[in-house]
Amino acid sequence: MRIRQRFLAAILFVVVIFLGGSSCQKPPLGSLQKARDAVKEAAHAGALRYAENNYRRAQELVKKGWLEMARQNARLAPFRDYKKADSILVLASQAAGEATQISRDLIRNLDSLARNERHNLQIELQNWREALDGSLENIQAEKYWAAAFLALDISDGLIRNGECEEAMDAVRKGRESLRQLEDAVADYINDQARKIAAWRQWVRETLADSRAEGTHAVIIDKSSHKAYLINEGELVRSFECELGYNSAHQKLFSGDGATPEGLYKVTKIKNNSRFHRALLLNYPNQMDLNRFKNNKARGIISRHARIGALIEIHGEGGKNKDWTDGCIALTNEDIDHLLKYVSIGTPVTIVRKSDQWP
Amino acid sequence: MLRRIALILAALTLLALMVGCSKAPEAEYQSAQAAMDAAKTAEAEVYVPDSFGAAVDTMNAAMAAKQEQDSKFALFRSYGKAKEMFVKAEEMFNNVASEAAAEKERVKNQVTQMLVDAKAVVDSAAMALQKAPRGKGTKADIELIKNDLTAVQSMLAEAEGDFNSGKYMVAKSKLESVVQKAHSIMDEIAKAVMKKAGK
Repeated sequence: MRIRQRFLAAILFVVVIFLGGSSCQKPPLGSLQKARDAVKEAAHAGALRYAENNYRRAQELVKKGWLEMARQNARLAPFRDYKKADSILVLASQAAGEATQISRDLIRNLDSLARNERHNLQIELQNWREALDGSLENIQAEKYWAAAFLALDISDGLIRNGECEEAMDAVRKGRESLRQLEDAVADYINDQARKIAAWRQWVRETLADSRAEGTHAVIIDKSSHKAYLINEGELVRSFECELGYNSAHQKLFSGDGATPEGLYKVTKIKNNSRFHRALLLNYPNQMDLNRFKNNKARGIISRHARIGALIEIHGEGGKNKDWTDGCIALTNEDIDHLLKYVSIGTPVTIVRKSDQWP
Repeated sequence: MLRRIALILAALTLLALMVGCSKAPEAEYQSAQAAMDAAKTAEAEVYVPDSFGAAVDTMNAAMAAKQEQDSKFALFRSYGKAKEMFVKAEEMFNNVASEAAAEKERVKNQVTQMLVDAKAVVDSAAMALQKAPRGKGTKADIELIKNDLTAVQSMLAEAEGDFNSGKYMVAKSKLESVVQKAHSIMDEIAKAVMKKAGK
C-alpha cells in the first residue's frame, strides 16, 4: 500500500512539474507575428531599395528567432526556454522598424532635395530670362533654354512618380544646359567686345560725313532696335525697328535670318512694295563679299551657301519682335516719314551696338 | 529461442521504419531554396512584394518545423509536416516568380507602347515642322519651335535608353513629358500656319 501511494505521489509530482513547466514557457508567437508585420511594413516603405542592409538583417533575425523557437519546441516542456527566441524576434522587429524609418527619411529627404533643386533651377531660369531681357533668341541659345525647361518638366513628372534620384539627375542635366547657355552668352559678349571699336568708328565716320556734306544719313543700332535719322551730323529722329530673327550676329549667308552689319547706301526706293514702301540697300558690299569668300574657304559656311541680297528698310513693322529674314522693318507711318528725307545714295550704317552715341 | 529472434527482428523492423519516417527532407528543402533564389532573380521582391513575403513566411515555417524535429531524439522525429511545408513553399515561390515575370512584362509592354506612341507623335511634329510655311513672320517662330523639337528628340532618346536598361518606370515618366511637349509643339506649328494663312 505504502509503495503504491509513493508511486502515485511521484507520478503526480512529475505531472505537476510537467504541467507547470508547460504553462510557464509559452512560445513567443506574439513577438514572431510583430516581427513579421514589421518586415512587411518595411517592404512597403521601400526598405529593399533604400535601406537594404537593415531590411536583410531584419529578415535574417526573423528566420533565426523562428528557428530558435522551433528548437525549444522540440524539448520537453519543463526544459523549454523561449527567452532567447523572444529576444531575437524583438531585435528583428527593431531592425525592421529602423529599416522603415531609414527608408522613409531617405525618401522624404530625396523628395525634398529634388523639389528644392527643381525650384532653384526654375528661379535660375527666370533670372536668366529677366537678365537677357528678350535677347535670348538673338544669342542663338534658345536650344539650351528649351533643353533646360524640358528638364524641369521631366523632373516634375519623376518627382510625382517617386523617382527622386532620377529627378535630381534631370535637374542636373537642366543645369548643364544652363551652363551651355552661359557659355553662349559669354561668347556673344566677347564677340561684341572684339568688334565694338569698328562699330564706334563707323558711327563716327557716318556722323562726320553727314556733318561735312550737310546731308542726311541713317544709323541702325541692332541691339537697341533703333533707326536714327541724322542730318548734318545731328540726330533728327529715332524710330523703333524690327530686324532679322537671328540678328544677334553678322549676316553670313542667305537664309541665316541675320541683319547685316556694315556701311551701305540706298540704291532704290520702292513706293509700292509688298511691305508698304521700301529702301533697297547695296548689300552685299565689298566687305561682305570678302568675308563670304573667306568664310567659305575656311569652311565656316557651306560651299553651297549663297550670299543673298535684297536687304531693305521697309514698312509693315510694329510686331514687337524680330521677324524678318534680315531686313529692317519700321511701321508704315515711320517709313513714310523717313522717306521724306532719304534718297538714293543716302548712307545707311548698320552696327550691332552703338554704345557712345547718341 | 525462435520467439526471441522474432522479437529482435520485429524490433529492428520497427526501428528501420521509424528511421525511415525520420529522414530529413533535404531534397525538398533544396528545391524550395532554389525556387526562392529563382523568385529573387525574377525580382519578385520588387514586383510582387506581398506574395513574396508570404512565400518567405512559409519557407521559414518549414525550416522551423524541420528544426523542431532535428532537435528531437532520432527515434521520435517525424518530418512529414516539414516536408509538406517545403513542397508548399516551393510551389509558392514558383507562382510568385511567374507573377513577377507577368507584372514585369505588363509594365514593359505598357512602356513599349508608350515608346511607340511617343516616337509617332515626335515624328509627326518633325514632319509638320518641315512642312510648315516659312515666310517673313513665321520663320522666327519656326526656328524657336525647332529648338523645342530638338530638346524633345533628345529626351526621347534618353527615355529609350532607360527602357533598354530596364528602368521602365523612369522611361514611363520621361515619355509622358515627351508626348505632352510634342503635342504642344504641334499646336505651336498649327498657330504659325494659321498666322501665315491669316496674312
